[in-house]
Amino acid sequence: MMINKREKNSIVIFDIEGEIRRSDISDVTLHQLVKEQLEVGRKQILLNFDKVDFIDSFGVGEILASYISTHNLGGKLKLARISKKLFLIFQITMLTKVLDIHDEEASALQSFFKD
Amino acid sequence: MAERRLHKILSAVVKIKPGEEVLAVLVFFYFFLITAPFGIVKSLRDANFLDDLKVENLPYAYLSAILIAVAVSFHAKLQSRISRRRLLQSTLVFFILTGLLFWALFSTPDHWKGLALIYWMWANLFVVTLTTQFWFLVNDVFNPREAKRLIGFFGSGGILGGVAGNLLPGFLAKPETANRLLLAAAAFLCACLVVVSLIFSWLEKNEDRTASVPGREPKPNRKELRHVGLWDSFRSVSSDAYLRLMAWVVLATGIVSTFIDWQSKSVIASSPEANVNYVRFFGRFNAGILVFAFLFQLVLTSRFINRFGIRTGLLIYPLIILLCSVGLGIFPASLALAIAIKGGDKALSYSINQSSRELLYIPVLPEMKYRAKVFIDMFLNRFSKAVGGVILLGLIYLVKRPPFAAIGFEPLVWVSFASGVFVIVWIVLNARISRAYVREVKGQLAKKWERADEVVADRMDVDTAKLVVDAIESRTQSSTLFALHLYDLARQNRLSPEIRNLLALKPIEHSSSDTRPLFEYDASPWIADFEEPGSPVEMDKEIREILALEEYQKVIGEYAGKVLEDKDVRSETARMELAKAIGLMDGRSALTDKLDDLLGDDSAKVFQYSAESAGKLKKKVHVPLLARKLADPKTCEDARSALEKYRGGIAGALSDYLNDVEEKPEIRKQAASLLARIGNQEAADALLEALGHGPDVLKAGLIDALDRLRSEVSEVQFKDGVVRVQFAAEIETLGPAKNPSDLLPLFKLLGLVYDHEDIFRAYQNLLKGTKDSIAYAVELLDHTVSQDIKERLFPLLESFSGRRNAGSSS
Repeated sequence: MMINKREKNSIVIFDIEGEIRRSDISDVTLHQLVKEQLEVGRKQILLNFDKVDFIDSFGVGEILASYISTHNLGGKLKLARISKKLFLIFQITMLTKVLDIHDEEASALQSFFKD
Repeated sequence: MAERRLHKILSAVVKIKPGEEVLAVLVFFYFFLITAPFGIVKSLRDANFLDDLKVENLPYAYLSAILIAVAVSFHAKLQSRISRRRLLQSTLVFFILTGLLFWALFSTPDHWKGLALIYWMWANLFVVTLTTQFWFLVNDVFNPREAKRLIGFFGSGGILGGVAGNLLPGFLAKPETANRLLLAAAAFLCACLVVVSLIFSWLEKNEDRTASVPGREPKPNRKELRHVGLWDSFRSVSSDAYLRLMAWVVLATGIVSTFIDWQSKSVIASSPEANVNYVRFFGRFNAGILVFAFLFQLVLTSRFINRFGIRTGLLIYPLIILLCSVGLGIFPASLALAIAIKGGDKALSYSINQSSRELLYIPVLPEMKYRAKVFIDMFLNRFSKAVGGVILLGLIYLVKRPPFAAIGFEPLVWVSFASGVFVIVWIVLNARISRAYVREVKGQLAKKWERADEVVADRMDVDTAKLVVDAIESRTQSSTLFALHLYDLARQNRLSPEIRNLLALKPIEHSSSDTRPLFEYDASPWIADFEEPGSPVEMDKEIREILALEEYQKVIGEYAGKVLEDKDVRSETARMELAKAIGLMDGRSALTDKLDDLLGDDSAKVFQYSAESAGKLKKKVHVPLLARKLADPKTCEDARSALEKYRGGIAGALSDYLNDVEEKPEIRKQAASLLARIGNQEAADALLEALGHGPDVLKAGLIDALDRLRSEVSEVQFKDGVVRVQFAAEIETLGPAKNPSDLLPLFKLLGLVYDHEDIFRAYQNLLKGTKDSIAYAVELLDHTVSQDIKERLFPLLESFSGRRNAGSSS
């Protein structure tokens, strides 16, 4: 898994690439990266899954932990370009009721301003 | 008025029903008037043979029975060409004329000695033809139940005729003029002609009884009957296992009977008391036997068969013969034993054996019965004597030669022991046919229908249907709910191509709660995600892991809290989604506690999903919440479905609801029904106990629940004594039943302690309401339930049969 960080209109965007799975944990996890941003005051975070092939429950745990951390600090964490399958899993687990998920990065970014 | 008086008189000796009196009396006299000449003809047959051809030649006389085949074949052709009335009348005329001819021939001085053998054959033909014709008529006009009830009465008519017929030679015969008795035999047959005419006149006036008499309209099987020859009859018998067994029984009976005849006549021929005047001896001897047989028949046969059934009826005769035969083997010169064995053979064969054997035809279909009777009763019955004769000749030949001759036993001793061996074979065959009889009766009573709930359960996958309907409905409510349904279907391997097509058929409308636009136009992509190989399994694993995440529990826990706080109608869908999602979770998850609130939700839809999840989680803490909803028609079904999923785990709790006098009756009824669905021994015991103490308002529901439990779980046991007490109480409260369906609770109770399938076959045939279906139903019950039950139940059943009779004749 590779995670690249970029910024747009003071929104931190993490472009995630590859597979997010328990067996493939890198030195720095997604949650740690998010927490680092939160610690420096960046509370608007977008996770872009456009190049993610697979996410297992560990990966979902990372997303949720990131969400909780952001939420606890009054920030916003949004998701964009997740696969159909993951969306279906989020539907089934009711996570669509909690997480803010968007089809495209642009609409996700726009939504930060609407909130 | 006269009929009423006749009914009163006959009721003293036989269970007769109004309308049957005249026919029963005529049939009684018909049998009397054919068996009276039997006595004369047979006494003369034996005496003439022993006088003219001697006892050594008896086995050849037995062999002559083979010629009966020709006569039977001719009779069968005749039977198929002319009406029953003409057949009976012309047969009687034939025997009157030929009887007179024999009288003339025997009266000539120095008549040919071989005439005794011809007369022997004629006498046998006389007996077999007239007897078979009599039983044909009985089978034509009486259904099995009626025949069983009246058979003792008819049989006693026959035996009484035999007594009268044998007393004549017994007291009137002198050696030189004995053959004049053939004139008396002809006179009896003339009287019989009159009685037969009267029977057919009566049948013409009472058309409903004549439907099955060949030669009358309508005759559904006339075409088939036309072609029943001896060969056809043999083929019919050989193609049916039951009839084959019956044929073996008749063959064994005939062989044993031939042995007995030879054994007894061997002793009698060497006895000085007998050989002074054979005709007189045989006349008195036969009369004595028949007096005994008559008393046995009149007093014991019907009672015996009704009480102990056909099985014991068929066994008592060979057992007595076995004892006598062994006795004769030990004391070969004993005239007393010779008389006992012959007496036992005749008395029991005329009474209990004849009656039992006729009853064996009950489960045979009418057209098959006529075919079979030609071979079994007319041919085999006599042919078996020929077989017995051949075996006897062979045996006597063998025992007179080494090494047997060296042992020093008389042939009579050898024959007596051989007779014993054949009796044992006969007993085994009788035991087999009595078991086969019950199977055949059951076969006649096809089960007409299954319980509707069982049919639905067997033929439809109700859970899948419900899930699909809910899934379709959810598409317009929420995509989350729809996804949850899809997941449910996939997890249970129920996402068949047909169901996928059905779910993909209609576009999803915009959801009010989800803003996600990705799949809002079409369900197909979602469904496609479940189509990948291994997808449902992988997805299930993934989802379970997600649900177990601490972070997940925290996030969704907060969300659930918010949803539950908002009781607004607009948030109903959110509560439905939450209720459904909780069903996916592990029972130990704190999130499942949220079901407590959801199960109490005012919305029936929210409750539906909550109950479904409670059924999946099976937490006992939810049982009272579900039970409370049993009283509400809107939520009852969902609550039931959920509680059913707990299976045996809640039998005790349901039993408490059932026995709680302060609980709502509706909840108690539902508890009974649920216990039936649980279907274990604890549930059965709880239901039966409640039946003993519960209020009347619950009784029907309890009996139905017990019946359902029994029909679904055959291995559950019910306390026989408790069921019998309830059966007796139910009969008391039932009073006079107006319709057979009023008896359903009684049958349900019987089904608890007897074969459930048999009991309901009988009930369904009772409901069918035709005279024969009722008769077969009663017949099956007769072989299934115990005597005390029969005594209470049968008067009710017979009353329906009687009402049908009255209805059909009016």
